[in-house]
Amino acid sequence: MKKYWPILKSVSLYAILTGSTVFMSFPLFWMISSSLKTLEETNSPGIVWIPANPTFQAYIDIFQNQDFLRAYFNSVFYVTLALAGTLISIAAVAYAFSRIEWPGRNVVFFLMLATMMIPPQALIVPQYVFFNKLNWVGTFNPIIIPGYFAGGAAMIFLLRQAMSQIPKELDESAFVDGANHLQIWWEIVLPLVKAPMATVATFLFVGAWNSLLTPLMYLQTVELYTLPVYVSTLYNINNTVQQWPTIMTAAVLTTIPLIILFFFAQRFILESVVVSGLKG
Amino acid sequence: MPENPYLNVLVTAALTVVFIIVTSYLLGALARWVMKARGASLKVQENTFAGYFFAAPWIVGFLIFVVVPLGFSLYWSFTDYRVTSRDPANWIGLENYTNLLFKDDSFRASIVNTLYLTVIGLPLQMAAALFLAVMLNQKMRGERVFRMGFYLPVILGFNTAVLLCWRLMLNTGTGIINQLIRSVSLSFPPFGYLTRGLIFIQEITTAFFLGINSGKFSLMTKVIEAGFPAANRVPLWVQSPLWTKMSVILLMVWGCGAMMLIFLAGLNNIPKELHEAAEVDGATSWQRFWRISFPLLTPYIFYNLVVGLISSLQIFEPIFVLYRDNQPIVSSAISMVYYLWQKSFSHFEIGYGSAISWVILVIILVVTVVQFKLQDRWVTYDIY
Repeated sequence: MKKYWPILKSVSLYAILTGSTVFMSFPLFWMISSSLKTLEETNSPGIVWIPANPTFQAYIDIFQNQDFLRAYFNSVFYVTLALAGTLISIAAVAYAFSRIEWPGRNVVFFLMLATMMIPPQALIVPQYVFFNKLNWVGTFNPIIIPGYFAGGAAMIFLLRQAMSQIPKELDESAFVDGANHLQIWWEIVLPLVKAPMATVATFLFVGAWNSLLTPLMYLQTVELYTLPVYVSTLYNINNTVQQWPTIMTAAVLTTIPLIILFFFAQRFILESVVVSGLKG
Repeated sequence: MPENPYLNVLVTAALTVVFIIVTSYLLGALARWVMKARGASLKVQENTFAGYFFAAPWIVGFLIFVVVPLGFSLYWSFTDYRVTSRDPANWIGLENYTNLLFKDDSFRASIVNTLYLTVIGLPLQMAAALFLAVMLNQKMRGERVFRMGFYLPVILGFNTAVLLCWRLMLNTGTGIINQLIRSVSLSFPPFGYLTRGLIFIQEITTAFFLGINSGKFSLMTKVIEAGFPAANRVPLWVQSPLWTKMSVILLMVWGCGAMMLIFLAGLNNIPKELHEAAEVDGATSWQRFWRISFPLLTPYIFYNLVVGLISSLQIFEPIFVLYRDNQPIVSSAISMVYYLWQKSFSHFEIGYGSAISWVILVIILVVTVVQFKLQDRWVTYDIY
């Protein structure tokens, strides 16, 4: 009996892990499978794992749906623009917190960490009124511009930790050679933190791509809807029969960028989070 | 400003960049001037300028998007301000708060619902994360694939698309989850008894919470009187008020990958020698986990608890996507933030919404501070 114990142990370990992985990725499989079904198949009382005759009708239809295509473009546009500004400003602030000694640094840093406790939703009401006064409601501005002011304390913290690990001598020798802070930041420090930057960029991308609450509040016309907002309108609770193949097709197309990104970035994320013990 | 929405935001973004650079320079110059007046050395003056210059985007953003809004919302929470009306806000004192805390049944429901998600959902989520992390830490082949699989839900997150897929899977009659439960129970009866037992426990607990909500425990007595669920019973996930919150908890457990990574980091940081020494002394792996790993994991548990509490107190998307407009059951599911959204943006009651956000803010602050106060009792920071 004792001889079989290790084998039994590793078999059950694999069984548990495989089971959990199946559970974790099942929605993805189900989404794809349902998008290829007919309406009858999605509503059938029996289990249809994979449709016998996969139909691509929903995909053909959705590529002719102007609203969906525009929402897709809007999402790409919004995420790109928001990401660019947020990433650069975060990198600048992280540099100030890690590579420069200045009076008041610790106080400001502590304040920044404290803001992580403020739920963003506590701020949305006054921010809405503020943006309303600026006539920004019904434009992309309120969901993009705040990020330019280094939005995301956790991301600054993550990048600051990475920048602190670069040896100080590097800056000092560059100073002797006559470089200024801007040059050191851009030409020496940033190239050395590419992997943490990639992690931060991934988190920011995912956050922006998935965000629902603020786009919902500010993009009040269908012309401006981003994907999550548009997709949420496809599901109408007043309908007795939901168009599940269409909804799932939209869902598949919405998640594809996330999957691709995850495939490329998982290496950075999993390593950097496991090593530094941080979360985005 | 150009009419085209894309051009409009591009122009605004460019102006914002100019604004940030100018304010950064001014802030840096101001700080340098202060240091100069204090008679600091040239080197210190330069560093002060650079420090404030680089940190300025955050400092300015903090003032514009955090301090000022918080101040305004504190003021509005004492008024009857509505964004749609032309009238100026009237000072009404504590009326919003007294209404909110003592009269508003929906708000009380939202607090109890959020509490339910926190008290029952969060421990389940953390237990799942810890369990998976310990399993993954066994260092076997394919670890990477499993780790990826567990982290995938975090990336998919609470995206509407994924939530709608869950909505499809959770359908009572035709959803895959109930179909699976039915077919497995048919071919393997003990599983059927197990699920029915769980259904029974779940429904009694939820009915109890709903009872706290309304002050009437008739639903709970009804559930208990109905007795052990019949053989063909399946969970009524997104259909019954007794199940709405459990569906959200299922989603929380599904997304435990972020917490799992933190635990994995903690397990990696435990010195191998401790385990080796204990193994030599004859400790079983069960004992080693509870006596060595678990105490050393407490800082990570604490971190996950703080972050997890903050995020479960702020839950919004699942409730919006799964239950929005679903009149009979929405009151059993609304969270505090969902209620805030509803009041502020469907009804545009800014004064009342501000009062809600301050109550939420205070709740989160109190919970977080209490946790930091209590951490000395159970969190071990010293390894040796």
